[in-house]
Amino acid sequence: MGPMMAPSVSCLLLAVLFSAGCKVITSSDQMCTEKEANKIYNCEYLGLSKIPDILPNTTEVLEFGFNFLPAIQNTTFSRLINLIFLDLTRCQINWLHEDTFQSHHQLNTIVLTGNPLIFMAETSLNGPKSLKHLFLTQTGISDLEFIPVHNLENLESLHLGSNHITSIEFPTNFPTQNLKILDFQNNAIHYLTRKDMDSLKPATNLSLNLNSNDIKGIEPGAFHSKIFQNLNFGGTFDLSVILKGLQNSTIQSLWLGTFEDKEDQDLSPAILQGLCEMSVESINLQQHHFSDFSSATFQCFTQLQELDLTATHLKELPSGIKGMNSLKKLVLNVNNFDQLCEISAASFPSLTHLYIKGNRKKLDLGAGCLERLENLQKLDLSHNGIEASDCCNLQLKNLPHLQCLNLSYNEPLGLQSQAFKESPRLELLDLAFTHLHVNVPQSPFQNLQLLQVLNLSYCLLDTSNHHLLAGLPNLRHLNLQGNRFQDGSIPKTNLLQTVGSLEILILASCDLLSIDQQAFHGLEKMCHVDLSHNSLTGDSISALSHLKGIYLNLAANNICIVSLHVLPTLSQQSTINLSHNPLDCTCSNIHFLTWFKENLHKLEGLEETMCANPPPLKGVKLSDVKLSCGITAVGIFFLIVFLFLFTILLVFLIKFLLRWKYQHI
Amino acid sequence: MGGLTAALLIWALLLPKGGSGEAWPIHTACKDSSLEVLYQSCDPLQDFGFSIDQCSKDLKPNLSIRLGLILRENIKELFLDIALLTKGSSILNFSYPICEGDHPKFSFCGRSKGEQLYYVGPVNNPGLLVPEGEYQVLLELYDENRSTVACANATVICS
Repeated sequence: MGPMMAPSVSCLLLAVLFSAGCKVITSSDQMCTEKEANKIYNCEYLGLSKIPDILPNTTEVLEFGFNFLPAIQNTTFSRLINLIFLDLTRCQINWLHEDTFQSHHQLNTIVLTGNPLIFMAETSLNGPKSLKHLFLTQTGISDLEFIPVHNLENLESLHLGSNHITSIEFPTNFPTQNLKILDFQNNAIHYLTRKDMDSLKPATNLSLNLNSNDIKGIEPGAFHSKIFQNLNFGGTFDLSVILKGLQNSTIQSLWLGTFEDKEDQDLSPAILQGLCEMSVESINLQQHHFSDFSSATFQCFTQLQELDLTATHLKELPSGIKGMNSLKKLVLNVNNFDQLCEISAASFPSLTHLYIKGNRKKLDLGAGCLERLENLQKLDLSHNGIEASDCCNLQLKNLPHLQCLNLSYNEPLGLQSQAFKESPRLELLDLAFTHLHVNVPQSPFQNLQLLQVLNLSYCLLDTSNHHLLAGLPNLRHLNLQGNRFQDGSIPKTNLLQTVGSLEILILASCDLLSIDQQAFHGLEKMCHVDLSHNSLTGDSISALSHLKGIYLNLAANNICIVSLHVLPTLSQQSTINLSHNPLDCTCSNIHFLTWFKENLHKLEGLEETMCANPPPLKGVKLSDVKLSCGITAVGIFFLIVFLFLFTILLVFLIKFLLRWKYQHI
Repeated sequence: MGGLTAALLIWALLLPKGGSGEAWPIHTACKDSSLEVLYQSCDPLQDFGFSIDQCSKDLKPNLSIRLGLILRENIKELFLDIALLTKGSSILNFSYPICEGDHPKFSFCGRSKGEQLYYVGPVNNPGLLVPEGEYQVLLELYDENRSTVACANATVICS
């Protein structure tokens, strides 16, 4: 037993050594990723307990979250003196010792989110000349005295969410003069006193986030003549407390919405009365219910410029709302309208932006429901189940200043010639994922002189209609993704010939098999062509021979061999993506492979550009392939020279041998 | 010889598990006489906790759930993808926004990377009578850059 035991034990030791060796290898395998050479590194989730030696001293941005640093002190980061941004999210930090950042003069952001901090030394944040952003989210703070105040004069944002804070009163020596963002979301703040608010007096144009705190009381006068950029009281149960408490304040943007997981009180005109006592430009009331909804609900909204009523269970807006002449932006997303006229648009004559998207019912556009909105510039009607057999002149009557129209993700629309005659100033039109019926030879976009961007992706267009895109003299950006062409090919004469000003063309996922060599003639200004996710072969590249310096995406096609005559076309472009193609890495493609090596700087997606053929090279990156093919001209030259020299040598040798032989006779 | 074999065996056992890492344990989200929901985290970096309050093949609308996880990303924007399969064939795929910049549906929207999130509350689901059978459900939570926030392989057994 004894002699058997000894080798087993030594083998076991050997095995343990082996496995230990393996662990070291695996951990050194998973090293920090370089995002920008010598500057930006990500070392997250590596279980590191110190800064790895491979990080250069010049590192400026370090994402070091989810590692293990129970205590940090002046030696921890001492080598990386150029740090600007340091993310130490969830590193199990308990202690921030004295002078941790003493030599980090440039540091401007420290993220300590999710660390169970026990103590921060008085001088732990000293060093940085201009510390601007400090994240102390969910660090267990219950008292603002916990934060060392010595080097916070330049602080612009302080994030204190998800802690146990009950009062926002800052210590008297806390420098708040440069604060712009103060985030207290998800704490236990229930009361705001005058003293609390006075401690923030030096801060100007502050954005204060008290989302998910459930404020139960505000001392009268606490907000008297205070000015805020943003105030967020999201999820507060009793809004009357807030609106009473904010008397005499000036607020650019007030967020009072609630959430699906929060109980809320119905908003009555009496509660909203509080708005008359303050100055607010923009208000959000998302997800609330209204009681006694009438024109009286809006009597204190007269100074408002922006109103967001997303998901407020609205079936209609009352007609006869008076005095809302200043409203510029109205958001009515995710409500329950049956017809567009139910929003009583005439009450908001100055409206420039109107958003009605994701309506919970199929929305009927009606006729002329928005005709009083003469100043409207942007209209979003996406995701509404809108269906119309003849769109859109009657429905969108009299919108002379409309610049952006979004009708994407709707039900089928029938378009006739000049379908957008009522909005001649359109610059952007989005119809993506809305099935369009256009009869040949109608030109629905005719006379949109100013249209620059047209998104027709997945519209199931009849692309054989050569007049489809007629009358768009300024169109720069056209997206035709997901539309099909007859026989999978774009012929010599096609619908693109009428849009000569095109700069960006997207023809991805169009099931294309080929493109005629002349198909893009007349499109001289193009600088971005996306032909990805088709079944194009190398020959289709010749359609681009007249273009120079463009971005060309040919990813995920069927390109195997790129012949010699199309290489100049590729050479003259600035960026090319050939990834996810079944590229041939045999000698029959040697010209392309050589070209590829010489033009690596122009190629995008190199990691995914791989050989499909021959089988032994399948999956190998094209940039790694080394191929020597047959005898080249240079090879033949050297071979001939070699043979010639060899012959001379042989003749001399024989001569010498013969002479030597005869001399010895 | 025997020693060497034993050593090799021990070595193989001690070796850190390769590439995909070891799988997270399978948890029970809920169980009663007619319905059982099991899940397993498919995020290689972390497990998460999840339970459903009432379990019954006659699923009530607006179920209450409990969810606990550490956020790997900021969730100002958060989306859910669900794929439902039975016997390997797909029945249903859908995508649902939970947090959007212009519409944060839940109070946790806007929390940041590294925060521990604990949610107890409704999920706003429709009512549903689950037909008998065994279903595979793949759930994925991700942000606007499609970075994973949580991933679950669930099995629903209805008898």
